[in-house]
This record gives sequence, structure tokens and C-alpha cells, in this order.
Amino acid sequence: MIELHRVSKVYAVGPVKVPALCDVSFRIDKGEFVVLAGPSGAGKTTLLRLLYRAEPPSDGEVEVFGQDVGTLRRAQVAALRRSIGVVFQDAKLLPVRTVYENVAFVLRVLGTPRRDITARVFDALRVVGLSSRAQAYPAQLSQGEAQRAALARAIVRKPPLLLADEPTGSLDDAMAAEVFEVLRDIWTGGTTVVLATHQRRVAVALRRRTLALEAGRVVKDEG
Amino acid sequence: MFGFLMGEALRDLRRAGRVAVSAILLVTLSLAALGGFWLVSANLDRAVGRWRDRVRIIVYLKREPAEADLPQLLERVHAVPGVASAVYVSRADALRALKQVLGKDAAVVDSLPTNPLPSSVEVTPAATAATPSAAHQLVERLEALPEVEEVAGGVDWVERLSQWQRLLTTIGLGVGAVLALAAILTVTTATTLVVHARRRETEIMRLVGAPELTIRLPLLLQGMLQGLAGAVLALAALSAMYSVVAPRIEPLVSLTLGLPRLAFLTPLNLLALTLAGALLGALGGWLARGGREA
Repeated sequence: MIELHRVSKVYAVGPVKVPALCDVSFRIDKGEFVVLAGPSGAGKTTLLRLLYRAEPPSDGEVEVFGQDVGTLRRAQVAALRRSIGVVFQDAKLLPVRTVYENVAFVLRVLGTPRRDITARVFDALRVVGLSSRAQAYPAQLSQGEAQRAALARAIVRKPPLLLADEPTGSLDDAMAAEVFEVLRDIWTGGTTVVLATHQRRVAVALRRRTLALEAGRVVKDEG
Repeated sequence: MFGFLMGEALRDLRRAGRVAVSAILLVTLSLAALGGFWLVSANLDRAVGRWRDRVRIIVYLKREPAEADLPQLLERVHAVPGVASAVYVSRADALRALKQVLGKDAAVVDSLPTNPLPSSVEVTPAATAATPSAAHQLVERLEALPEVEEVAGGVDWVERLSQWQRLLTTIGLGVGAVLALAAILTVTTATTLVVHARRRETEIMRLVGAPELTIRLPLLLQGMLQGLAGAVLALAALSAMYSVVAPRIEPLVSLTLGLPRLAFLTPLNLLALTLAGALLGALGGWLARGGREA
């Protein structure tokens, strides 16, 4: 499903070249739950950004669903992203819309028939345990609830791949546990999950395959 | 889907607030100016058309022709290039016409010892002879006929009226264009604010793979809505102004230009102004920066 061949990413900050990823290669198969672990600045976010083609690699090949995403044109990038759900540390909810509207927004912009939207939104909210909070606004949610709403938005299209970039980074342990539980449920439902986290104990507790990143390199691939 | 995009556009319009109101007012001003000049120009055009139809060239004859020679004379006048029709006016006919014009003062004519008026041929120029140079050539050709004493008339003053009408149209287009440019820039500014306000929506849309058109269309639609609102206001203002001003100036217009009534813009003109408003707005919306980040 995902294959990286000798991938590097270098950012140019004025005349200075800052390497974010160096010669990274690995493969993730369909149905896997993979944890990208490493400290801040290790290259986890950059790696996820390459996967949903927020930017191209400087070198090497990034294959997602069998496509070299570095060579995709704008319309093809949009098509790729329709098969990928993404969540961030910041839930990125639209503040003037309810939880229901936030989740439905994704379906509406993708032209889902109106009659299907309600059922699909409530399906997604049920998976993340937020059915009763559908009419709440983001400001009325706890951070954990906001993150679960973001997860509902990411999975409402039932994408085969979910990328989660530090989704528990700003949550306390109880809330983080709730989010991990939801991620596990999504994974057991058949979705491939790639979770980036700097919390080493999280990676250990999840007991899933872990790719450890340090200074832009994969230093360990275990589990 | 369209309903959703239109809903997003209306939401954006509310977000743009006062800048959107300014943009709508500028579209209103530019289209009202354009429409106002168009209205005046169209009426002047009607007057020019009417006067062109009424232009006559009078060919005064040296002496009154014998009745037997008349058909031949008219035939030769008619054969001159640029003549549409020719009507003979005898000295007696000319005197009768003069009396009619004088009305209650016609008795003055009766006191004359003899009829001083010459016989003439009233020539209606063909459409091809309606320009000043063609009319001038026609006059020269008619003067060359041996029976002719003098030729009077021409289209010069009608052409001057036509030049005024063209000048007015040009000024109208110029003023309209400047105001339209200002309107486009204001719509662009309003849309740029909207782009900033909806950056989260745009980010989410790009993240989930929404087509570029779906991302851009609400911006285009809200610009178009501003343009349409401006156009509707401009048409309402023009219509109100026409209904107030037209009855007051119609007597003057009738006296000077010979138009009994001032005409309002045609439905086609109104449609064109409305579409122009929508187009101005859409262009402003499309030109807004910031909508195309990766």
C-alpha cells in the first residue's frame, strides 16, 4: 500500500539547506497499524506530508496505492487524497459549524448525495463515540472530543488509509487513551493506520509495528 | 452540490461585511453611469435616425418647367447617384406651403404683387448619401444639371448631432470602464478577505481532495452575487431616475431634438447591464489572491 525507496527531503531556508528526511526506505502493507515514533524534529510530520502529497520528495520515490505521488498532477493529488484520511494534533475543526456540520462538510464538498449524508455522518460519529455531541460547537468540546470529531471527519468517507499526526500530542493520558481506542477500532474495521507520535510509551503500549525516526532516518523497524 | 456551494458563497458574503457592501455600491455606481450614458446616447441615436430620415435636399430650378418636360426632368434627377426619391414642387405649391407655415400671418403673402418663390425638386437622399462627404457629392452632381439654379440642404448638422452622440457614448464607456475597474478591485479585495476568513475551509477541502473548481466556485459565486446585487440596484436607480426626470424634460427634448418621448433602455440593454454586473463580480472573485496554495 505504501512504499518508500531511498526518500530524502531537504528544505531550503534561504541559502541554508535543512535535511528533514535522509534516505528513508520502508513498506507498509494494507491493513497494518504502524507507529512512526521519534522526538520532535525527527521527520515524522514531513514523512506524513509526503504520503498525502502536501509536498514532493527531494529525492527518491514515494509510492501510495501503487502511484508515485511525487509525479502526480493537481487533479491526481486531489484524487489520491480522497482515499486518505488525515488528522493532526490541532483538530482543525471549523469553529462556526457544529460537530455534525464539520463532518458533513467533507461529504458535501465531495458531492455526496444529500440523502446519504446524515446516515454516514452518524455512522462516523458512532465509531468515535460522539453521537450525542453532534449539535455541539467545537468551543463546547473537550480537547479529546475535538480530536475524536476530527477523526470522525477523517473516516466519514471510509478511506482505506488513515494518517494521524500526533493526534494525542496535546491531550492528557485519559483523553489520549480514548483516542487510541478509537484509532484501534478504526484499524480493526479494515483501515490501514499510520500514527506519528513523539510519546515513546504510547508506541510501546500500542504494541504495533514501530518505525523509529531520528534526525530524518529510520533507525529501527520493529514489531 | 450547487445549493451547498451557493450556501457557502452567501456565508462568505456575510463574512466580507462592509467591504462587500462597498463593492456592491461601486458596481452600482459603474453600471448606473454606464446605463445613464447608454440611455442618453440611445435617445440621441433615435433623434439622429429620425432626422436622417427627414433630410431633404432642395433643388431650385432656373424656371418653371413645362408640364410636358416634367417627367423627363424628374427622371434625370432620379438617375443621379445618391437620390432615393424626387418630388416636384411648383411655385404655386411652394406658396401654398409658405402660407401654411405662416398660419394666421398668411395674409402677408397675398399682398405680394407676384409669387416670388421658385419651383423646385425636393430630393430625399439615399441611405448611401447620408454621410457629409456623400451628401456633398450629391449636391455637386445636382448642381451640374442645366436646369438647376441653386441646391440647398445637406446632412452636416445631423452628422454633428451624430458626432455628439458618439462622443457621449465614448465618455459613457470611459467613465463606466474606470468605475468598473474600481468595482473589480473592490470585489477582489472583498474576496481576498473572504479567502483569508475561509482558509480553514479551504485547507480542509484540499486535504480531503475536493476538486479545484469546488474550492474556487464559492469565491466566484460570492463575487458574482456582489455584481448581481450591484446591477439590480443600478437598474432600480436608473428606472427611478427615468420616471422622475423623463416627464420633466420631454417637452424640451421634443422641441430641440424632435423626439416626442424619451425611451428607457430595452429589455436586452437591461439584460446586458445585469450580465455585465455579474461578470464584473465574477472577475473580481476569480482574481482574488490566495486561493491557490498547495
